Amino acid sequence: MSGKEKLKKILIVDDEEDILWSLQNNLCNESLQVDISAASSGEEALEILSNSEKIDLVITDIKMPGISGLDLLIEIKNRYPYTSVIVMTAFPSNEYKKEAILKGSLHFLEKPFDINGLREMVTLAIKEDNMFRGTVAGVGLTDVIQIKALSGVNSALRVKEGDQQGIIYFENGQVVHAICNDLEGEEAFYQIMEFTGGLLDSINVTNMPDHTIAVPVGALLIEGMRRSDEKSASGNVVESSDKENSVVEVDNAKKEDDMADLKEVLTEFTNIPGVNTACLVGRDGFLLDSIAMSGIDTEMIGAIASSGFGASEAMGNQLGKGALSMSMIEYNDGPVMLSPIGADAFLVVVAEKDANLGMIRLKIKKHTSEIVESAAI
Amino acid sequence: MAEGKVLDIAHISFLDMIKVMITMSGAAAAKGTLIRNAISTAEKISEVDYSSFDDFLAAIEDSTNPITQIEGKATHQGEFVFGLTNCPFAPSIGNYTEVFEKLPDGYADFTTEFNKPSKVTDIYRVGEGAGVSPFCSVHQPMRSAIAERIKIGGKKIKIYQLGCKAGSGKKGFAEKWLAETGVGQDVVDKILDNHMCCYYLKVLD
Repeated sequence: MSGKEKLKKILIVDDEEDILWSLQNNLCNESLQVDISAASSGEEALEILSNSEKIDLVITDIKMPGISGLDLLIEIKNRYPYTSVIVMTAFPSNEYKKEAILKGSLHFLEKPFDINGLREMVTLAIKEDNMFRGTVAGVGLTDVIQIKALSGVNSALRVKEGDQQGIIYFENGQVVHAICNDLEGEEAFYQIMEFTGGLLDSINVTNMPDHTIAVPVGALLIEGMRRSDEKSASGNVVESSDKENSVVEVDNAKKEDDMADLKEVLTEFTNIPGVNTACLVGRDGFLLDSIAMSGIDTEMIGAIASSGFGASEAMGNQLGKGALSMSMIEYNDGPVMLSPIGADAFLVVVAEKDANLGMIRLKIKKHTSEIVESAAI
Repeated sequence: MAEGKVLDIAHISFLDMIKVMITMSGAAAAKGTLIRNAISTAEKISEVDYSSFDDFLAAIEDSTNPITQIEGKATHQGEFVFGLTNCPFAPSIGNYTEVFEKLPDGYADFTTEFNKPSKVTDIYRVGEGAGVSPFCSVHQPMRSAIAERIKIGGKKIKIYQLGCKAGSGKKGFAEKWLAETGVGQDVVDKILDNHMCCYYLKVLD
């Protein structure tokens, strides 16, 4: 880098002074030279963002008093779309997942983290900010709801699509209330889930409304996805009140079509925090495709899993339980989930013990037909 | 006093084990296990390079050819099409049926599973209708996998399973591999009149 070249600006946001101090003093080295500023809260971060020249990258903790890291992410996305964001979280970690997340829709930095891994992530973010802009802009509603839930926040999420609007309230990360048009409670939540695009807006809530929802977030998302699937399957296209919405629907359909590559679909699973391996396996145990953390012999996993999957099916048949929809084996260090894909294959998802099982189930439900199509099975 | 039949316990156990595998984990998983086992066996065979196709044929005659060592002597029918007179599993089947009269239940499902299009049958160019019993899922991939360890004049070879005949006389044909090799089904049908198994050998450029 020439001496005249302007240094990229990075803002680190964390309420833990030790982390701030450590990153300010250790992030830069010979290969990474950046201009670092720090904020100990989301509010302070927003002030710095509004008063300084363009900040290229924000690295923020997710759990902070006041404005959380997620709220900050949404504010940055709305106000400063060209600023990249890395979210620090205490999810379980592995090297492969970092790589997958770097290519995915959200950029997580897992605590405790390796400073070299962070430097690599930062280098990518400031060099290839086009990729980061695109992926941050592509955050889906279900992703945001999941992160809200995981971060245990008290806040509300406003979702606007055309002239439709809905609000989902979170208390300690749980969805406790939702409003959408004339609906309230679970039905409102499901109606919001059917939005195919729009704007997200995170709101601080001082007085939480009466609780109308007592269902866990994972179950809400699964049911919401099931309803959406049913609606799609019946060909009942969501009515649009204006042309803009119709365009959004067409775009979304095209996106679905474009996502034909099987590896991309499998990445949807490994992008879930705590999921490190996703394999598509023929029922005969031969591997069709996989994304796996290093050190996992996916060919052998496929072979072994086929016996487990077959045994689960055989037991169901023996007990008259009908077709197998999902099999989960729990180990000390996390579960392995097996799910049929079409008539001739099944999916193996290897997760760590803190992984969000509801999210995995949701993704399986969402992507099964896509996998069948991509893999031509 | 009538003389009893001495069972070959290895044969009996193997055939019953297939039935157990089908019951415990389904025909697909059982098929995969048998094929993996066959490939694993093939990988133990030493690589060999015959200087010419005639040398390859001569090695069949003196039973030094690795393919011959696992299935017996096949005969060249011309145009790189081979016929195998005896199924290598015939003794096992005979031993079993002599005592228990019929093969275990579940074999038909297994055979259907083997003939379904799949990644592994594509890789080894087997099945696709050429399977007539669960034993084909051992024999056919093993032969193809062994062929990958054989060269003729420094060139790799590939085996395509064209057809097979069950002990009952019922013939199975692999339309996919017939189309890919250009060998007519009538040719294979005729060969299977006097043989149990028919395959095509391709010398790669």
